[in-house]
Amino acid sequence: MTLSRRDFLKLASLVTASAALSSCAPLYRKIAGDLPTVPWTSFSSSDFLALNRITFGARVEERARFAEIGLQAYIEEQLDFESINDFACDLQLSTFKTLNMEANELEGISNQLFDGYDREKVPNELRQATFLRQLYSKRQLYEVMVEFWSDHFNIFMDKEKEFFLKTVDDREVIRKYALGNFRDLVWASAHSPAMMIYLDNQANEKSHPNENYARELMELHTLGVDGGYSQKDVMELARCLTGWNVKEHFWLGDFVFKEDIHDTGEKNVLGLSVQPSGIKEAEQVIEMLITHPSTAKFICTKLARRFIADNPPEQLIEKAAQTFLNTNGDIKSVLRVILLDGLPLAQPKYKRPVNFLLSALRMLNVETDGIALHDYLVRMGQLYFNWPTPDGYPDYSEAWQGNLMPRWQFAFALIRDELDDTKHNLNALLDVSSSGILQDDVDAITSLLLGTPLERFARNEIIDSVRAAGATEEETRQIIAASIIASPAFQWR
Amino acid sequence: MLTQTWLPRLSFAPVNTAPRGDTLVVVFLRGAADVLNMVVPHGEEAYYQLRPSLGIARPDDARKKKEERAVDLDGFFGLHPTMSPLLEAWQSEQLAIIHACGAPDESRSHFKAMELMERGVGDERGPASGWIGRHLATLNTGNSSPLRAVGMGTRPQRSLSGSVPVSALRSITDFHLGGDLRALQQMRTSLETVYANDILGQETLSIMDTLQKLDVQNYQSPITNYPDTEFGLALKQTAMLIKADVGLEVSAIDLGGWDTHFAQGSSTGIMPSLMKDLAEGLAAFHADMADYQNQLTTVTMSEFGRRASENGSLGTDHGHGSMMMVLGGNVNGGKVHGRWPGLGEGQLIGPGDLAVTTDYRDVLSEILTKRLNNPTTNEIFPDYQPTMPHVII
Repeated sequence: MTLSRRDFLKLASLVTASAALSSCAPLYRKIAGDLPTVPWTSFSSSDFLALNRITFGARVEERARFAEIGLQAYIEEQLDFESINDFACDLQLSTFKTLNMEANELEGISNQLFDGYDREKVPNELRQATFLRQLYSKRQLYEVMVEFWSDHFNIFMDKEKEFFLKTVDDREVIRKYALGNFRDLVWASAHSPAMMIYLDNQANEKSHPNENYARELMELHTLGVDGGYSQKDVMELARCLTGWNVKEHFWLGDFVFKEDIHDTGEKNVLGLSVQPSGIKEAEQVIEMLITHPSTAKFICTKLARRFIADNPPEQLIEKAAQTFLNTNGDIKSVLRVILLDGLPLAQPKYKRPVNFLLSALRMLNVETDGIALHDYLVRMGQLYFNWPTPDGYPDYSEAWQGNLMPRWQFAFALIRDELDDTKHNLNALLDVSSSGILQDDVDAITSLLLGTPLERFARNEIIDSVRAAGATEEETRQIIAASIIASPAFQWR
Repeated sequence: MLTQTWLPRLSFAPVNTAPRGDTLVVVFLRGAADVLNMVVPHGEEAYYQLRPSLGIARPDDARKKKEERAVDLDGFFGLHPTMSPLLEAWQSEQLAIIHACGAPDESRSHFKAMELMERGVGDERGPASGWIGRHLATLNTGNSSPLRAVGMGTRPQRSLSGSVPVSALRSITDFHLGGDLRALQQMRTSLETVYANDILGQETLSIMDTLQKLDVQNYQSPITNYPDTEFGLALKQTAMLIKADVGLEVSAIDLGGWDTHFAQGSSTGIMPSLMKDLAEGLAAFHADMADYQNQLTTVTMSEFGRRASENGSLGTDHGHGSMMMVLGGNVNGGKVHGRWPGLGEGQLIGPGDLAVTTDYRDVLSEILTKRLNNPTTNEIFPDYQPTMPHVII
């Protein structure tokens, strides 16, 4: 189905006019022919793993497409994200007015004059939008990268003015360059008011330097902690960054360079002699950091950790880092190496909470506005933009193991349709892919969620145990689907 | 079943067998607490020169109101006024302070310092598991409780990680599956099946059963109230688990927000309200657990200290030397331990930071050896030879 921009706007206003978002959510799907219930076949474990690294969880139609064109073409299709029609998702998000507002507008709608600020409205909309994009966007690899950079350039929305500034950072920094060039990302982040405030650079003045941002720019954003800088370099870069600030009155929340609090002395960062030149001083250092070999290695290690393994192979990192340097930080070129060379070497990774939730929801064609899932993200410890320290949510398996209870609770509540405004489509899926006989249904469910059906003995064991607990056939289907989602195997991707 | 063959397996072979010792409560102050304003060296002139705005007045400074002055401990050090709830434990010699204490790492990076400290290693090459994790793994206490070690909060702390599974617990009341009894029974049965070979799953099921018996809502401390904060709740639930005798050996609790680069406050403000939470919580816990003091040791730590001089934003930047507190019935208390390196010219290190004269591993090693019956400190803190600081009687 194709739609002109005018059709889109017309539909968007229709959507805005309707009151409850949840009640009309299926409308987008119908218009776009979304959430198709296509049959699926069992997948090899390597294909299933690959697809689950590129997406937030393999939908049935993504499985079909992957089977049709193969890994390499699938990656290319996803890298060329702007060519992917994402109309249904865009339409659903058209009701989220704050996503496109400037900082001063966002401040305005949050400011309740005599009642202080509404610190919930803007963050809630950004969080819900993030969730819906991860769930419904067809540009999955792009959304995976948005999540990656949101961790890399982490900002804690609960700090001071971040509750509205992060929305601008998300749009103008992270989403703008997620599959662009690393240089542009760092550059935009360094000029991002949200980052200035999060890492205290607005308090970094000639008379009393504050080294927080300078340190994290090197330690976490570019070189890495062992990237070869010293405490002296941190302090010198902090001096270069004096005056990088945020407007407080007119055009509140915009970036500003304040000449009067800038340290005009000479500096030396990482052996580079920096002559007094105002805002250009730190910009010069940033250019140097971006093309530094330590940066290439650090970024590629983190990407390989996200897509391939907790401890990624050194050779892969080397090759990707070389590509990073050769292409001056072209993210698509680096990803191509990481995915094509790396996926055959992939090791199991424990699903982070966001990934766990999304994979179940996507595989079961769930329709939801996402609001009921908020509390699960809190309890599992991965609410969006809520990690206080600038290192972002941990990306190694060990960090997330041990907190099984909320995962079980989610699985149980989801399958029983007990989450508000959230409905799975397991039965519709089974209608197209199974005979309706209990054993076949269980095979279809396990193939859907784990890639391949369980072996016969294991399948019969689980059916027998649930039936022995007094379940009817229909209850057995449900309980098995819930316990597959709760199972050890489903916690890994 | 449903445990794919490539999943990492859990296995451990403890080197020591001993009856379990104290329950250890580890409070981590995240963000590098400004210890110079918590335990104030009011006898040191340099302190007031370095901190003209943020410094806490001497206990006898008549120009200041009483609630703005330090509470004297020993003529040289004094507690921040918001920390005075801890005075009772100090006077009964159940609270020891180790000042100028910390780790050798000088990265002044929260993440690196926290990671090294929670792993209990001197540099990154050490084992990836946590120091508490290795304590659990090297000591067989005959205790197979799923609640042997608990991280209060949404995720277990890095210090707990290792071959022995640990639990994260935000609230005791969160620990049920919901649903009607019939469906619940079916789900439980099915979970038993899919987790048949998985230790963590089996233990989670058994936690579920155990916690059903506890009632957080109606729990009251007989003596004093816990602060109505996350930290207070974590301590309260730790007390409940200890009293319910469910096998709790270690409880790890975080109190965050100490990274005070900006307007941290002197006698009131951001940092004083954190100190109040800390002191009131620990005092309530100490009082609630009065009958258990011979089976309980509580320790506080932070990844490093903050710069001795205040910065221009009325805050403090990353520094070095920190401070630990140890609370319990067998503590050599009522005393500030450790050699005080001073804040004067030539005494500060790096960009102007308090030196470290006692390694945090000395304090932990003594607690592990004397109170938790684990002598294997060379495995818990590899490549480190501890010196006992005599913080434990």
